[in-house]
Amino acid sequence: MTKTITNVTKRRLSPTARPSGSTSAMLLAQVRAEFLAAFRVPEFLIGIVAIPVMLYAMFGLTSSGTLPDGTQVRALMMASFAAYGLLSLAIFTFGVDVAQDRKGGWLRLMRVTPMPAWVYFAGKFAMSVLFGVLTVLILFAVAALAGGVRLPLEKWLATFGVLLLGGLSLSTLGFALGYLARPKAASTIANLVYLPLSFASGFFFPLSRLPEFLREMAPYLPTYHFGQLVWTTVGSREAAQAFTGVGPEGTLEHALWLLGTFVFFGVLALWGYRRDRDEARS
Amino acid sequence: MNVIEMQGVSKRYGKLEALRGVSLEVGAGEVVAFLGPNGAGKTTAISIMLGQKLPDSGTVRLFGHRPDLREARGRVGVMLQEPGLPQSLTVEEIVELFASYYPYRLPTGEVLQRADLLEKRRAQVSQLSGGQKQRLYFALAVVGDPDLIFLDEPTVAMDVEARRAFWEQVRGFAALGKTILFSTHYLEEADANADRVIVLHEGRVLQSGTPAQIKRLVAAKTVRLRTDAPLEQLEALPGAGRLERENGHVLVYSNEPEAFLGELVRRGYSMSDLTVKDTDLEAAFVSLTGKLEA
Ligand SMILES: Nc1ncnc2c1ncn2[C@@H]1O[C@H](COP(=O)(O)OP(=O)(O)OP(=O)(O)O)[C@@H](O)[C@H]1O
Ligand SMILES: [Mg+2]
Repeated sequence: MTKTITNVTKRRLSPTARPSGSTSAMLLAQVRAEFLAAFRVPEFLIGIVAIPVMLYAMFGLTSSGTLPDGTQVRALMMASFAAYGLLSLAIFTFGVDVAQDRKGGWLRLMRVTPMPAWVYFAGKFAMSVLFGVLTVLILFAVAALAGGVRLPLEKWLATFGVLLLGGLSLSTLGFALGYLARPKAASTIANLVYLPLSFASGFFFPLSRLPEFLREMAPYLPTYHFGQLVWTTVGSREAAQAFTGVGPEGTLEHALWLLGTFVFFGVLALWGYRRDRDEARS
Repeated sequence: MNVIEMQGVSKRYGKLEALRGVSLEVGAGEVVAFLGPNGAGKTTAISIMLGQKLPDSGTVRLFGHRPDLREARGRVGVMLQEPGLPQSLTVEEIVELFASYYPYRLPTGEVLQRADLLEKRRAQVSQLSGGQKQRLYFALAVVGDPDLIFLDEPTVAMDVEARRAFWEQVRGFAALGKTILFSTHYLEEADANADRVIVLHEGRVLQSGTPAQIKRLVAAKTVRLRTDAPLEQLEALPGAGRLERENGHVLVYSNEPEAFLGELVRRGYSMSDLTVKDTDLEAAFVSLTGKLEA
């Protein structure tokens, strides 16, 4: 009896086999694969990085003037388009990408390997953070060099940090979409979500220039709170008030909205993930 | 304890009973063929053994572990029937990625050589032919140097030469004491490559035995001809298995059609409209089921 047990427990390695599978190496390989795949289909991510910059050049750089506290409108518009860029990044890299992987059976194949599911998500996160940083830095550069935007160093840094954290808080919205939408519909739904959201949150045009009812609705959108956090970081609360014509509410309130969004869609994404897995298993 | 232990596994898809109480055991180092026609339940049984699908009832253990646990997964390699791969990664990149998942790995060069993909190592998946993709799936199945390898109809898209090379590689792994379970529609493929054949039909295990035992039940070839020899005479000829009439023709199931036909000629019977084909498994199993129930 003991003999047969050792028999099954014993590994039967090939002479050339060597140890592998350390978590760090696995993570590195996953991130590397995500990057390689992304760079080979540059249309996808160039679109995501280039469109906010292009829109900023068209709508942001052409606006002029300063707000009561001296903040340049162009500086706030830079923040708007950065927030827009990060929203689209969250929706596309997490949402549409995951939906594609589901459709292709790639996720199914990865599930029979010993790779833990979180490594897969970490790969997506890493890619998203890289492209998020890229988008924000390019926008900063365009604003500073072509738009003459001037901010003290600590404002640049704080804006950078708030943008990235806010962008991450929207990641679960992307994952929820990726797992709940039917793969074929994911891209359409993504557009239906992020374009109206961006518009109604004042990312394309300042809320103060939008119809009254949109200003009243905006505080119920998580992306509006993202916007307020960034605008109040770039300028003063006064500046954000003049720029949007609503709010801003307290920093804590905006932050809680984003946290709530993260948790709410996180739960939804988890539910979708489970449903997808159970469907595959049934 | 066995490498694979499956006990009373049933699985329904809606009204369809894909598996009806399948029990089987596979010991360390065995090479087992799952033989059955389309829809027999081979893929379903393999998905359940992999923990990809959950059975409605029954249990599965791999190396004594639940198949979805890392203890099992780290020792299992798989070639699935219709997986998908990221189209824009190259052969080498995907092999490297998979190698990082497993507790042990083989060198990439060796795996690509075994899968005969060395010249294609820098090609993206979207540029591979059907047979090359199939070989890439094989590379992914073995890169983690698994103790247990599942191959679901592995040679489907391969040409004759690729098949030969493929089975040679599989035998190489078997020689290291690894356990292999593959599915096939072809008795000959099972015969040539397996130690044991498990015949699956309509979700049940019909037979399990050595290839020789199974061949005695299901002849590999079907001879179809018109002849003036009476049935009783035909039955007595060497190599003749079961006989059937089919509108003016006689069907003879045989494992040695050459011996059978040689004797028929020697005895001077007439012969016309002759064909010799691989036995259609579906037909063979229907008759086998009849025989078992009778
Ligand atoms: N996801 C599914 N939903 C509904 N029915 C299914 C599903 N998968 C398989 N079936 C049915 O279950 C039965 C067994 O299918 P399975 O794929 O296991 O057969 P198989 O032996 O692998 O066949 P093949 O040789 O064609 O690959 C078939 O009748 C098939 O139509
Ligand atoms: Mg199948």
